[in-house]
Amino acid sequence: MHVTVDVKGEDTHEVELEAANGRPTYADLLGEVDLSPHEVSVLVDGRPVPEDQPIESEHVTVLRLIKGG
Amino acid sequence: MSDLRLDATQLDRYSRHVIMDEIGPEGQKRLLEGSVLVVGAGGLGSPAIQYLAAAGIGRLGIVDDDVVERSNLQRQIVHGDADVGRPKVESAADYVTALNPDVDVEPHETRLTTANVAGLVDDYDVVLDASDNFATRYLLNDHCVLTETPLSHGAIYRFEGQITTFANDRSSADGDGSDDGADSSGRSGNGDSEPNESPCYRCLFPEAPEPGTVPDCATTGVLGVLPGTVGCIQATEVVKYLLGKGELLEGRLLMYDAMEMSFETVEYRSNPACPVCGEDPEIESVEDVAYEGTCEISAD
Repeated sequence: MHVTVDVKGEDTHEVELEAANGRPTYADLLGEVDLSPHEVSVLVDGRPVPEDQPIESEHVTVLRLIKGG
Repeated sequence: MSDLRLDATQLDRYSRHVIMDEIGPEGQKRLLEGSVLVVGAGGLGSPAIQYLAAAGIGRLGIVDDDVVERSNLQRQIVHGDADVGRPKVESAADYVTALNPDVDVEPHETRLTTANVAGLVDDYDVVLDASDNFATRYLLNDHCVLTETPLSHGAIYRFEGQITTFANDRSSADGDGSDDGADSSGRSGNGDSEPNESPCYRCLFPEAPEPGTVPDCATTGVLGVLPGTVGCIQATEVVKYLLGKGELLEGRLLMYDAMEMSFETVEYRSNPACPVCGEDPEIESVEDVAYEGTCEISAD
């Protein structure tokens, strides 16, 4: 499946995922763009999706968690 | 609103506010009668405190348990070289007092905890989160959601900043969704608001990352002027809220990239599964949460 991963503040990635071992998850998608679920939130239609959920969208937005003040 | 009249000195001091139709003497009175709690007197808190004080916010609380270090001075501009070693709240309070005698400044030299958050927050109209750690950010968010206290959020990382505003006004969620004009701050509605559309920080980031997975300014560095930009935008949001004017960054995360000199807005929505403001919230009190690690709901 083809997914557009828009990492806000960084790059937009076009990712092809194999569904050989079951449906890939959002965590798999993050792995493809070298991001950890610990450091970002994946949004679909403006809402976060659980990282272990199978991908159901062709376009996701990724926000990086930052804490500095 | 009480019969607060601007005296001649105030009319002079705030003349550039008063002359504008959007503010006028009534708006300036709102600011002088308003109260804001700034949590953190560091990079973000410094410019926010300065501009809120200059704007004539009548009561300004400042929470911080830290002391000024020389490495702070590259960006924490409310403090000076002579303040090194002093509590940040004292240094910041001295700045405010010297800048504007109209402001009653209330320094709270403490760290925000589940035990003291209500006592610190509940007496203020608006809270500005200028903290530098996830425990405080999640605690503030949860308490402000539960008490429907508006909260300005800002965060910085190297050359990037994120800003959004959580109005935490859920009054429409309990009614019929109609918009009858203005809320308690005098803010005019846009007429097309939906029930439950007052998202919070956990709607964006349900839980904090594991400790150590997100770097801080001490390890990665931060452009000194960056918190100036971000903190000023937060102060702008707070002033607009108190005035009841303009469009807040509600449901919009403003992302600032200082290297590209670009701004981008990411729209987000209330999350029905949000553990604190969702349809079936697990968090009914800040006592339900261990504000350490990932700030998740306690097992017990």
